[in-house]
Amino acid sequence: MRDYWLNKLFFDIQQPALAAEYKKDRAAVLARYPMSAALRRAVESDDIAALAPHVNAYLLRFYFAICGMKDAEFIRRLNELPGHGESAEKGVSHHG
Amino acid sequence: MASLVGIFAASHGPMIAREWDNLSPPTRAAVEQGFGRVGQRLTAARPDVLVIVSTDHWVNFFLNNYPAFCVGIGAEHDGPPEPFLKKVFDHPVLAGHAGLGSHIMITAIERDFDPSLSHRLTLDHGFCLPLWRMGLDPIPPIVPIVVNEVDDPMPTMRRCLAWGSLLKEAIESYPENLRVAVLATGGLSHFIGEPGMGQIDESFDRTCISLFERGEPKVLASTLEDAVRHTGNGGHEVRNWVVAHAAAGNKGFELISYAPLKEIYVGCAFAEWRLAA
Repeated sequence: MRDYWLNKLFFDIQQPALAAEYKKDRAAVLARYPMSAALRRAVESDDIAALAPHVNAYLLRFYFAICGMKDAEFIRRLNELPGHGESAEKGVSHHG
Repeated sequence: MASLVGIFAASHGPMIAREWDNLSPPTRAAVEQGFGRVGQRLTAARPDVLVIVSTDHWVNFFLNNYPAFCVGIGAEHDGPPEPFLKKVFDHPVLAGHAGLGSHIMITAIERDFDPSLSHRLTLDHGFCLPLWRMGLDPIPPIVPIVVNEVDDPMPTMRRCLAWGSLLKEAIESYPENLRVAVLATGGLSHFIGEPGMGQIDESFDRTCISLFERGEPKVLASTLEDAVRHTGNGGHEVRNWVVAHAAAGNKGFELISYAPLKEIYVGCAFAEWRLAA
C-alpha cells in the first residue's frame, strides 16, 4: 500500500536545500514526515525491499540517487527484491 | 489558420545528460545521430511554435493532485530543475505560447475533455533533454502538454488517441497563421526504480515501432494497452507517441533510428509521422 508521507519525503528531497539538510541531520528531517515506525526504520537502514512496495518507483530511484547510492548498487538491490523473477519476465515478454 | 508542419518522436533519458562525458562512443553516436536527425528535420519544418507532449517526472505534480493531462498555457515556463541538466542546458526560462496554449485548452473543454491547466510549468528533462540534444537555435515558443505516465491510474491508450485527434483539430483551427510542430518524447522501454532497471525490452520496442509504422489506431491502442502492463514502467511514456500518432491523422510514422542503449537504460527511438493531407 502506498504511504503518503514516504512519497512526500522522496518528492520533497528533490529540493537541493532539503537534500543538504537531510545529509546533515536525517533525524530532524524525518521527524517532519509522520510515517510509521517500520517505514522510518526502513528509510534509516536504506531497506529498499521494505520501501519499494510503499513508494512510487521513480521517487525511489530519485531518492537513492540524491542520497548518493551508485546505480550499480541500487540496481543490484532492486534485482534482489522478492518477486524479481516475475518482474524480470516483464522484460522478456512477447508482445503483439 | 495555423498548420501542422511536422510531428516527431524522440526518446529521452536523464542518463544522457548525467553521464554524457562517460558514455561509450557507440552509445554517444547513436544518441547524437538520433537527436541530430530529428533536430534537422524539425529545423527544416520552420515551426513558429513547438507543442511538446511529455511526462512530468514528479516536478510539477504530486499525489495531492496529479492530472491525467495538463496543458501549459503560459507565456513563459521554467527550465529544467535537474542539476545535471542545468549544467548543459542553460535555459532558466523558456518562452511559451499563451495564444495557442489557451486555444488548445478551450478547444479541449468545448469537446468535453477536461484537462488541468498551468500558467507556468517547470519543464524537466522529458521536455528539455531533447531540446538540448537537438540543438534548436533559437528554440521556438513551447506549448507543453503533460500526460500522466508515472502513477496509476493513467489515461487509456484510447483516450490518448482521442487527445491526439483533439490536438490536431485545435492546432488547425487556431486563427493565426502559425507553423506548428509536435514533438512526443519518452519511451520506448525502460525500467526505473524497479527490478529490471538497466534492461531493455526489445520485444516491446519492436512491437511499438511496428504498430506506429502500420498506423492502424484501434490495433495500436488495444495492443499497447496490454503491452505496457508487461514491460518496464518507463514504457508507459509511449502514450505521448500515441497522442502524436493521432495528431498526425493515424497515417503511421517513418522510423528514423532505434537502438537498445543499456548505458542510458532506454530503448532509444526517433521517428517522424506522415501527416494527413
